[in-house]
Amino acid sequence: MTERRPRVIVCAGGGGVGKTTVSAAMALASARAGVPTLVVTVDPARRLADALGITIDSEVRQIDVEPSAGDRLYALMPDPKRAVRLCLDYVFEGESAARDRVLENSLYLALEDSIAGVHELMSVVLIERAVATLPLGCVIVDTAPSRYALDFVSYPGRLATLLEGRAMAWLSGLAARLVTGPASAQGILAWGRRRIERVVSAALGPRVIGDFAAIFADLSHVRKRFSAITRKAEALLLGPSSRFVLVAAPTGAARADLNHLARRVHQLGRATSAVVLNRADVGPPAWVEHVLASDPTPPLVDAVRIIEVERAARTGAANAASAAFARRWPGVPQVRLPAIAAASPREIVQRLADALAPSLGTLVG
Amino acid sequence: MVLIIGKGGVGKTTVAAGLAAAEAKRRGKAALVEFGDGEAGRRALGTKHREVDHVVLEPQSAITRLGGAVVGSDLLARAVLENFAISRFLGAAPAVRELAMLENVRAVSAERPDRRVFVDMPATGHGVAWLRVPAQMRTLLGSGPLFDVTDRLCRELVAPGRVSIVLCTLPEHLVILETLELWQAMTREVGLSPSRLVINRFPPDLSPEAVALARRASERAEGEARAALDTLVVTLEARAAAWAEASAVQDRAARETGVPPLVLPQLPVDADASAAASWLAGALP
Repeated sequence: MTERRPRVIVCAGGGGVGKTTVSAAMALASARAGVPTLVVTVDPARRLADALGITIDSEVRQIDVEPSAGDRLYALMPDPKRAVRLCLDYVFEGESAARDRVLENSLYLALEDSIAGVHELMSVVLIERAVATLPLGCVIVDTAPSRYALDFVSYPGRLATLLEGRAMAWLSGLAARLVTGPASAQGILAWGRRRIERVVSAALGPRVIGDFAAIFADLSHVRKRFSAITRKAEALLLGPSSRFVLVAAPTGAARADLNHLARRVHQLGRATSAVVLNRADVGPPAWVEHVLASDPTPPLVDAVRIIEVERAARTGAANAASAAFARRWPGVPQVRLPAIAAASPREIVQRLADALAPSLGTLVG
Repeated sequence: MVLIIGKGGVGKTTVAAGLAAAEAKRRGKAALVEFGDGEAGRRALGTKHREVDHVVLEPQSAITRLGGAVVGSDLLARAVLENFAISRFLGAAPAVRELAMLENVRAVSAERPDRRVFVDMPATGHGVAWLRVPAQMRTLLGSGPLFDVTDRLCRELVAPGRVSIVLCTLPEHLVILETLELWQAMTREVGLSPSRLVINRFPPDLSPEAVALARRASERAEGEARAALDTLVVTLEARAAAWAEASAVQDRAARETGVPPLVLPQLPVDADASAAASWLAGALP
């Protein structure tokens, strides 16, 4: 039996480019096209959550943006404060004694809340769980607004490597040896290892080593399960059914972030499947000419001119960014979306979904 | 030392570079610390601000340097860190990178006693978490060389009088709500009261009567002109709402922090350090 795999779109971009809104719009467009779609926002965005009726609580929920999306649109905005606990419950399912010991471990208590890597890992685990339980055709992952956002894609693999390999055995051994005293093996290798052990033990101190040993011992109960989850998460994000879509806006910072992220995708051994240039109107919207032709009063002419000057600056910057990206990364499709003025974030998402509908195949196909 | 903190996309780099440029203009020198490859800071500073010492901290070498501070020798630290198990562990362990970055910031500042150091902190949803790491690790460790490093960080970096904190935010209700929570959390959980709030991308106030004029014009117009004017009405309404929201946010921030926030205008393209410096000059303590 082959496992059914949804298409996974990893969206990355610098901060302030409208990545979360674009991700939501892509998800809406995909759901409108009949595909059950989940949008995951790794960095919770309250404004959008409120607008779309999403609860920030680590549960996947169906959201009701408009009738044409039917019951096919789901959202997940993991709460950084609760994701860790939820994830432990999942990993330690059926091993509640071990889980409770981990929950009381002072090392865990010190690191539990809000350390960046933990939250992102938990998000990946929650995505993996959602894919296992819902009939999804498409998952859109809106990563944190950072140049390092793509690090989290390889994080499950790094963790699995730690859990599976000699490293874990050595570290649990180290923790145990430091508690019970050194091994007596001979030879230069053993000498080097003892020396490293002494340095590590001196740096961390006996209490932390003891806590480490305890956590490693409890992790060993669920090691296979945990590493299977992290491997599945890795396959989901880096496997053949994932796509990388980069989102940028017409600013110098976003343009530099775009190039940096394209390099990161390349380093992951993958190709950028598309670039979305947000707020990148190709030319003046048709209404501008009609308004100016309708003999408006001077304050209206001024207002339209200001809007137009801003739009022209964005178009110029977008043209330059687009050309520079095409030179550096030829063959990557680019999708340009206009700036949208609307009263509510929900309406912006809907109108962006309209605007990107013709390019849906390029973005999520 | 001044730490510039805020979520991704609020314009921390512009603010950090602007503050450093303003300081350099006033005192002749300053330092800007940036994490990553240094590209963002270079772009914001441009070629004009040579008196700003631009220090770029890269995670891997920051971890090696932390290791050196702990074991007392960079060479030994490198040998330990290159151990296959340790390097895998560090690749997966949380908090190590944060601790390493903070130790490097402390060292950069200690090496430059004559300059005020402005740190463009990494984007994070929870700015307080980073600053809590030294105290958490200190409690956890109890003794030993790594304890000494965390203890020194608690005394010399995450300590009132040693560091000022500038929070960056955007003029939106829900964003300012999070920022004000962060402001309180800083005081409550790390014992550091932020000194200033910077509201970036404050939208311009287009002629206040424009919306009403556009509505009236649309009522009189027909066909294409009417549809176009209706779009203009929606556009102007959205902008007027954004301006009203921004003004309310500014008032609320002033009321709840007791310090008037600094405001940077929204521009169609990026502001450079010189422009930001002229807006932020009043922010320097």
